[in-house]
Amino acid sequence: MPNTSVLVVGGGFSGITAALEAAELGHEVYLVEKTPFLGGRVAQLNKYFPKLCPPSCGLEIQFQRIKKNKNVKVFTLAELVSVSGQKGDYTAKIRIRPRHTAPGSADLSELAGELPARADNAFELGLAKRGPLHLDMPFAFPARYVLEKDELRAADLETLEDNEFIDLEETEKEIEVCVGSIVVATGWKPYDVTRLTNLGAGALDNCITNMQLERLASPCGPTGGQILRPSDGAAPKRVAFVQCAGSRDENHLNFCSYICCMASLKQATYVREQYPDAQVTIFYIDLRTPDRYQKFRARVLADENIRTVKGKVAAAAQGEGGQVVLTVEDAVAGTKSHETFDLVVLATGMQPTLSGERLPIDVPVDEDGFIVGGEDKGIFAAGCAKKPLDVMKSAQSGTGAAMKAIETVRR
Amino acid sequence: MSKAVRIEPDLQFIKDLQAVGGDSLKKCYQCATCSVACPLSPADAPYPRKEMVWAQWGLKDKLVNDIDIWLCHNCGTCSDLCPRGAKPGDLLAALRNMAYRSLVSPTILGTWMSSSKYLPILVAIPAALWLFVWYLTTGLTIPEGDIVFGKIFPGDYTIDPIMSLTFFFMVASFVLGVSRLIKSFGAAGGTYYVGEHKKPSVLNCIKDVLFNEVGQHANFKECGGEVQKPEDEERFKGHLALFYSFVILAVVTGLIAFGHWGGKVIHFLEPMGHTPLPLYAPHKFAALVGMCLGIYGLVKLTSRRMNLDQSKTKSSYYDWYLLGVVWAVFATGAGALLFRLAGVATLAYVTYYVHLVAVWMLFAYLPWSKLGHLVYRTVALIYARYIGRVPLS
Repeated sequence: MPNTSVLVVGGGFSGITAALEAAELGHEVYLVEKTPFLGGRVAQLNKYFPKLCPPSCGLEIQFQRIKKNKNVKVFTLAELVSVSGQKGDYTAKIRIRPRHTAPGSADLSELAGELPARADNAFELGLAKRGPLHLDMPFAFPARYVLEKDELRAADLETLEDNEFIDLEETEKEIEVCVGSIVVATGWKPYDVTRLTNLGAGALDNCITNMQLERLASPCGPTGGQILRPSDGAAPKRVAFVQCAGSRDENHLNFCSYICCMASLKQATYVREQYPDAQVTIFYIDLRTPDRYQKFRARVLADENIRTVKGKVAAAAQGEGGQVVLTVEDAVAGTKSHETFDLVVLATGMQPTLSGERLPIDVPVDEDGFIVGGEDKGIFAAGCAKKPLDVMKSAQSGTGAAMKAIETVRR
Repeated sequence: MSKAVRIEPDLQFIKDLQAVGGDSLKKCYQCATCSVACPLSPADAPYPRKEMVWAQWGLKDKLVNDIDIWLCHNCGTCSDLCPRGAKPGDLLAALRNMAYRSLVSPTILGTWMSSSKYLPILVAIPAALWLFVWYLTTGLTIPEGDIVFGKIFPGDYTIDPIMSLTFFFMVASFVLGVSRLIKSFGAAGGTYYVGEHKKPSVLNCIKDVLFNEVGQHANFKECGGEVQKPEDEERFKGHLALFYSFVILAVVTGLIAFGHWGGKVIHFLEPMGHTPLPLYAPHKFAALVGMCLGIYGLVKLTSRRMNLDQSKTKSSYYDWYLLGVVWAVFATGAGALLFRLAGVATLAYVTYYVHLVAVWMLFAYLPWSKLGHLVYRTVALIYARYIGRVPLS
């Protein structure tokens, strides 16, 4: 009789979905998330395409489902240490880092505000600083602050002293869980811009990535949702999107990241909504909007202030007054020129998290880091750990992986 | 979009192009990274993206009349940045190789120069020629006494007439090639200037190209883009050194010829043309400097080629043929000198014989070899200056 529990690694959209689908069918599920909060990359978005609703829309429902379901055990700040056994009978060792705040969802915002913001805010992708006591976003789940103990200075310790909601004594724990199958939903990371040397390597003022623009446009982001230039806070009038910044390129990501064309079209609407006079240019190799997304593309491109140019930007340099100068050949007209923009958004692609990183699970990955197998061992990949997907398809793939995982443990 | 254009691809042309170094051209997906990466490519109809699509479509007419293949100095930056490994730099090199092959007749020479399997024929011609001379002079024996190469290969009756004829054959071939080339460039059109624009004079264009491009390798240095790699530096230095080595050796040869033939009329010039030159003669010293400079250049260029990332830039037979012949010229030149000074007669004469074979190969086949760029690229650069086809930045 195999163990009927399921381990889900990764608490992004596909991982959450897989966990819930299995749990709602009566299986005990352990959901392991490396960061302090669930939601993954989706939580960082301003809006989803094509309906342009905010991420809280999908995530809050998922969080409610988790809260209501006793079968899901969520471990945040948790990482897999080792996995032993075989299909139907795995033992997974999980290491849980201390959160240093008391259980429950106490509102510690006032206390957090008393501690100075010093560290780079990873959730805001370097666009803001954050204090050592933080909650990434208003609807974060768990809605429980996290305290980064090693960032604390003497003055901070005084502030925190004797606070009943702070537990500086908490230590790292290791637990073991027994499961029958495993869903790997480790997701993706934005491709490292510092490697795009011909596009400024991330060192140009006002040349940001598409994920950074999501944060700039997000109401809970560093600018309260106003798209402003990071260097001087000015409102941009001419904005460019550089497609395939690292994708479809054997020197970087040798595959199409699938979402960037739709993401840039979506982001063009962010800019146009805020700035009625702004001019947006999208530089592309092929504008890939498959299936029903074709409609979305037509709708966005109906705006005459959004221009598309076939031609990959292959050089970016700093211009005057914080502007960015792009060099590109319009491959249809056959002309090469320097074009100047107030703000440039690099549509960087999705790199699987498992690229250059190994899980303590015996699962094969291809040269790009995507999972390519493991099903015979009762290990199933979900979401962008398998291939680049949008949110809808990630959810579908999470459901699919959950079904396969259940099939494995039922036999 | 109302009028459909029927593309009539020349499939054989595509295959030929793939055979002479453009084997990865089909990988291109027209992203236009290459045109931007190229620091020499102009604003209007930049290269090499358009050449990639023409090549994929087999548009031979467009490609054989394309001036841009000569404006490229083959730094390989486009190929380094190419996201698909389509090697646009190699394609342009392949197109130049095709031009060497078919620009002038006898095109059989072009065919022989295109593949290593014909190399024995190319070697056999001068080998037989100089062997025949040797047979006529000393009956294929090694002469007694001081080592003087003129004993086997006297300048007046063998080397000078043979090399002169070879030289004029080469020049005539180039005249024909250049006139064809210029005619084909007619299709290139020019840059349309809005407002007042003073067209540069042909003379100024020639001066500019000879002084800046040929003399200082200005574009060649620029080539490689903003991020200068050590290989680019190696290539620039190596090429410049080899170029000036040839210039010095040409001047020395000219002085000797002038002294020799002029000395028959103006007697005090005679010692200048009397070979072997004593080591203290100023022009002998210049020749030695040229020799060292040439070997330095060859080492640089060869090591760069050997260390190229094969997934980005490949060397074709044309590249290796030229390097090989130039190496042979310098190695046998230096060898003949050293053996002569060491008094090893047999080796000295035989090495000198091989030297003559190599030198003849270099000059006689020049218009069909990669060295043809010396003339064709210079002409194209002058033409491009004249019509205003200059780099964007």
